[in-house]
Amino acid sequence: MASYDSDEEIDYSTDPDWSHITPLPQDDGENPLAQIAYHPDYVVAMSYLRGVMAVNDHSPQVLKLTADIIGMNAAHYTVWGYRFKTLMALEASNSLEGEKANWSWRKELDWVQSIAKQYEKNYQIWHHRQLIIDHLNDPTGERERTNEMFASDSKNYHVWTYRQWLVKRFSLFDKEELDTMELLLKEDVRNNSAWNHRYFITLGRLGIESPPEGVIDREVKFAKDAILTAPQNPSPWNYLKAVLRKGNINVVSLVDFCGQFAPIDSEDDISSSHALDVLSEIYDQTGDLGKAEQALMLLAAKYDPVRKNYWRYRKRLLGSGESVPVASEKAPAVHATV
Amino acid sequence: MSYQRRAVKSKAKRKVAFPKDWPTMVQVEPLEEGEQPRWATQADGATDEDSHPSLYQTAPERVPAMHLNLPFILDDLKTETSQKQLQTARNIMRSLDQPFLPPLDKATHIEFLLNPLDEGLSGGFVGLDASRPWLLYWCINALSLLGEDVGLYNDRAISSLKPLQHPGGGFGGGNGQAPHVAAAYASVLTLAITSYYASKELPENERLTVYANAFAWIDRGKLLQWIRKIKLPNGGFKVNEGGEEDVRAGYCALVVMALLGYDEDDLKGDPSIGELPLLDGVTEYFKSCQTWEGGIGAKPHAEAHGGYAFCVLAALCLLDDPEKALSRNLDLNRLVSWLSARQYAPEGGFSGRTNKLVDGCYSTWVGGCWSLVEAAANSIESSRKSVKMNIGDLWSRKALIRYILTCCQGPHGGLRDKPGIRPDYYHSNYVLLGLSAAQHYYYYDSTSVHSPVLAKSPFRHGHCWKSSNNIPKPSGGGGIGGGWLEGLLSDENDRVGVQHPLFNIPLGAESHLQGWWEWYNDVSDVEPPLKGNVAE
Repeated sequence: MASYDSDEEIDYSTDPDWSHITPLPQDDGENPLAQIAYHPDYVVAMSYLRGVMAVNDHSPQVLKLTADIIGMNAAHYTVWGYRFKTLMALEASNSLEGEKANWSWRKELDWVQSIAKQYEKNYQIWHHRQLIIDHLNDPTGERERTNEMFASDSKNYHVWTYRQWLVKRFSLFDKEELDTMELLLKEDVRNNSAWNHRYFITLGRLGIESPPEGVIDREVKFAKDAILTAPQNPSPWNYLKAVLRKGNINVVSLVDFCGQFAPIDSEDDISSSHALDVLSEIYDQTGDLGKAEQALMLLAAKYDPVRKNYWRYRKRLLGSGESVPVASEKAPAVHATV
Repeated sequence: MSYQRRAVKSKAKRKVAFPKDWPTMVQVEPLEEGEQPRWATQADGATDEDSHPSLYQTAPERVPAMHLNLPFILDDLKTETSQKQLQTARNIMRSLDQPFLPPLDKATHIEFLLNPLDEGLSGGFVGLDASRPWLLYWCINALSLLGEDVGLYNDRAISSLKPLQHPGGGFGGGNGQAPHVAAAYASVLTLAITSYYASKELPENERLTVYANAFAWIDRGKLLQWIRKIKLPNGGFKVNEGGEEDVRAGYCALVVMALLGYDEDDLKGDPSIGELPLLDGVTEYFKSCQTWEGGIGAKPHAEAHGGYAFCVLAALCLLDDPEKALSRNLDLNRLVSWLSARQYAPEGGFSGRTNKLVDGCYSTWVGGCWSLVEAAANSIESSRKSVKMNIGDLWSRKALIRYILTCCQGPHGGLRDKPGIRPDYYHSNYVLLGLSAAQHYYYYDSTSVHSPVLAKSPFRHGHCWKSSNNIPKPSGGGGIGGGWLEGLLSDENDRVGVQHPLFNIPLGAESHLQGWWEWYNDVSDVEPPLKGNVAE
């Protein structure tokens, strides 16, 4: 069997490989709504798939059939699922790399990658890859594959979900992973997906465990350095707050850092609305309610007016001890050297 | 200065209750391109947005300055994200700058949505062949939002969906396809809508006939067994056997179970065969998806995302009243902060994630979160104070409506992500549903009386939701129904239907469906009142 990722046409009705299968027509019901006027090739291939599934056939040519359909409709989860079962059945009978199938897991992964590049928003492709890598129990080359995807869309949710699974499954919480995130954030410091992954590998994965020595300080510095390059970028501000919370460090420790981006007495020099947001929390905690209110007022009126109602709500909460999203009561006596 | 004077005048009529101690700065002149904005302090407390008595008026109005200007602060550092954002904001500003807010062009949207139902779809839609029930739901729900009588499609919806039921239980995305929880969700929603419309004017016995035709063919026993197969030991759900795990699967599974009338006994499982209660660990799982940002991701540790946030909030609210569901399980302050940051200016619309672009479909996902969060927050507020208090609106309904009407309407019908992008059925439904969220206020009524059957449902909280056309005032003044934003829709033609904030179907459809299951449970040993061969 030739490799089926070529544009080779298959004539199921005359091909002897398919003579044992009875094609089953699709039942769309009477007078159906939103019926799709399929291409005749799709109708034929799907009728053979239904025929194959009806007799639970996992012979080598099913790979060809499923690839044919996926080439026409990559979101066909039933076909992906059946393909994976077929691959497993062929492997179990030692016929995956045999003459008839002439296939391998490696070829499958390469083929999947080529499909993934065509259909970036697809849910099924990355799940299929996950099933295979889980089965093979070998992540070799997989980080590189996802990096290739990030080159064209660095925020692809499905690829990131896969990457996270990969890291968790094979405990890849290593320097390479951290370096990759650093690189991605160097390319685009506003890539929130990369920030999310960085949080996962440094702190999020720990659950309720305490972070190792030095990690909090390192991450605080990383976020602050990022803020300095683009103070209006929300990602590192959120990250900074999350790291402090994880380290049980009171947000009040950020008062000087925020002050440099939001001198609230010198309105024209404000360079970050996020600094104003944090400052309002800080002043609320320290009891400087007037300043806290001023920060919120600047946000509502000038720096983030579409969220006026939210800022007004925050103003109402000032002094109630409820506007502080950090675990203030757990704050340690010593403020970190941040 | 003349602008400010006018603002004061028009404001007097409206009695907008802004605190007197809330000085704000308004931009006094619209900007020419490249000109630096000028700002002035306005003593009486009105902001530019308040100077407009209505978004709908016969005289040309001044578009609020925040929609005509880039944000006050833009970083110098350029990256792919900032360049895409800037380009998008500039593009959208051109659409926003209209002296008359365009009306909702219902007629052409209806035409766009009827077309696939009446004429079918071209071969180019083959990519949705595993999402057939979605196509039905999107079009039919969107048409109901636009006021169409979709009951006319009830029989054809039934005959279209019957072949999707899998012999082993559940629904596939098409005939012969493996069962998938999203297919079951979209199928059940579709039937709930069309049977509601087909029967709401009928006397009770005839109504039951309609529901019998629409639902009695669903094998509830097998469906529940199938749902058990996609339930994970960690409390999550997979979308199908061998498929991916995410909170979307959990939300869809809960909605299906809630609408198909399963009760506590059905879900408790059979310990003699090692079956655990179906809802074990579900709340904990949803909780664990709140991220370091405060938002909610597809599964634990995944990036916070508006679509998944809605799934979790709605699912939690199926299991408890909104105040308990949200405040006991989530860090509400951080959630609200993240949710609020999804709304952008100049655009007015919502983004789904931090540092991503706005998209019309998040009008539902993020707007739908707001409906639930506001209901929870207002309930917290009123319990805290001795007098009935409301926190009012936490987001800008006006800005979202402006984005939807100016940017999301395709010139030839249908609704869309943003200008320059072709409308589709998915966006048509979720943009209109988001418009509905902006036009209505939802609240949980704990005094709702439940029938004995519903009282045994773990999802009974989903049946306590009510709506109001009036948006509550932001303080102790008017309370619910105070009509704070009553000027929002002076043109009632632009109003769309009211939806259930958890199920995303017309509000009321869920209670008629429950009426059917109650009847069915009572007389399950009796033949349902099938009359004629309506669905055959």
